[in-house]
Amino acid sequence: MSKTTIGGAAALLLVLIGLPWFVNPYVLQVLILTIVYSMLGLAFSLTLRVGLPRFDVAAWWGVGAYVTAMLVLKAGVSFWLTIPAAGIVAVILGWVIFKIVIPRGMMVFLLAGMVLTMATQQIFASVPFFGGWGGTDVIPFPTIGPITFADKRAVYFLGLIFLGTNLLVYKVLLESRIGRAWTAIGSSLGLASSVGVNVVRYRMANVLIGNFFIAVAGSYLVASTLVAIPTMFTFTNSINVMMYVVVGGMGYSLTGPIIGALIVTFIPEYLRMAKEYEPIITSAAIILIIIFIPGGVLGLVRNGIKPWLARRLS
Amino acid sequence: MDLSLFLQLIVNGLMSGGIYALIAAGFTLILGVIQVFNFSQGQFYMLGAYCTFGIVTSLGLPYPLGILAALAAMFLLGILFHFVIVQWTLPHGFFHTMLVTVAFSTMVGQASFLTFAADQGLVEPVIPGTLNIRGITLNNGKLLVIGGAIVVMVVLYYFMKTKIGTAMLAAAENKDVAQLQGINAKRIFWVTMAVGSGLCGVAGSLIVPVLSATNNMGMNAFIRSMLVVLIGGTGSMSGALLAAFMVGIVESFAFQYVGQLSLVAIFAFAAVLLFFRPGGLLGKPLPIPGQ
Repeated sequence: MSKTTIGGAAALLLVLIGLPWFVNPYVLQVLILTIVYSMLGLAFSLTLRVGLPRFDVAAWWGVGAYVTAMLVLKAGVSFWLTIPAAGIVAVILGWVIFKIVIPRGMMVFLLAGMVLTMATQQIFASVPFFGGWGGTDVIPFPTIGPITFADKRAVYFLGLIFLGTNLLVYKVLLESRIGRAWTAIGSSLGLASSVGVNVVRYRMANVLIGNFFIAVAGSYLVASTLVAIPTMFTFTNSINVMMYVVVGGMGYSLTGPIIGALIVTFIPEYLRMAKEYEPIITSAAIILIIIFIPGGVLGLVRNGIKPWLARRLS
Repeated sequence: MDLSLFLQLIVNGLMSGGIYALIAAGFTLILGVIQVFNFSQGQFYMLGAYCTFGIVTSLGLPYPLGILAALAAMFLLGILFHFVIVQWTLPHGFFHTMLVTVAFSTMVGQASFLTFAADQGLVEPVIPGTLNIRGITLNNGKLLVIGGAIVVMVVLYYFMKTKIGTAMLAAAENKDVAQLQGINAKRIFWVTMAVGSGLCGVAGSLIVPVLSATNNMGMNAFIRSMLVVLIGGTGSMSGALLAAFMVGIVESFAFQYVGQLSLVAIFAFAAVLLFFRPGGLLGKPLPIPGQ
């Protein structure tokens, strides 16, 4: 890695760590949400790598959240143990469903994802065990020794750890042999298949790994909200992840979703004063971004701003 | 269950099915011909309903005019949507275009909520009253919706056999070859958007004498239509038709017994059907793996 990259990374880390002391608690809460959305966006981006747009993100997110909430409330399990549990449940359920769906192709996967999102929301709301539309009871603040995650700053740092781990795992996977197989499938399915890449199996692996981290994001969400309510896991959430990826830049699997999540989550916050017109303005802004900056923000930086800077400085 | 209830549930199901069929047909057309996943399909349905409601109730014009108005309005809106928004994202790919339709859907939904929030528009039934067959009472309005939907589908069928309809099908099969044959691809794009939107507009105008126009009717119908497209086989119009009526009837009966859970019931129905007919109802039984 070059000196500039290390320097840049160090600076970013300093900013991220110092942030909670420079922003008000409300902004911190939005940042926490952005961290969650980033993790969801990363999973969408990961699965896009194998040519599958996944719209089931909110479903597994909900599964993760409910597993955590239910285990803590009904079985008295420590919050920290519920995190891997949530991931594992999402992987097992996902395996059952995707075994049938993935061999049917991209369009079926796309539609099935949407259906899954709606179905899980309905199920969480309708089955009395989960608490119905009102959601689960409130869980106690998670603790590690003396640190209680009642303080938003603690939750924020926890989020950074979750996000960092997620990024690391994805990065390692993407640069491994598995990642190369995924890229092959995504760029040219027929060709990959013809050289012996087991498309279905690699796709399954990709989707299920995504499931794990989506569910973990759900657990983290519960650490922040302390409750799981069906209305938190809507169709809109599943659709929004695609927005993060496109706004951030589709070519950037790891950084794109994070930048995109930041932008898409903060635009409505700055437009709060518009009240009921806000969705209209945000949607219009998104449309304009997609039309005029199709490469996303990161694409603009690399293809537009960097060369411009280079010309200016040379 | 007595015969009367049974038939009424069947009628309800066929009515919903007819609506889903029209919306799904429009959606499949747009998806197949110009490869656009039109997420705002349901909103055109909603706007068509409000349009007819406005024409008939506020302006006092006769109902058939309301249907034509909805058709024309949604036809034009589809064209506008294409030229102002969609055509600029088409070069950037499937996801960009899909995302733009999502954003448009949100925009339209909120805008219509702000405009029509107070109005939940129910139009007077065209042929009020009920039909009585051997002591079984059936709602006239609902039968009219079924009839109307069938008429529209027949018209669509013959439209697809016309010069432009065939051109659309050709473009769907292979755009490049179609262009080589002299088909104007640009025209196909906006015509397809217009027809797809127009179909939804008519669907909206048909349902408005029976069910009042509400703000979320668009998304609700769209969700069911997605299921219909999934079951019927993406790209298959006849499959969508069959699936639509099946979904409508299953939903109708499920609603009678489990109320709100009827949505889960049709999801389950779709899952079972997909398990046995993964290529769709009238599609190939087994697609190429990993496609």
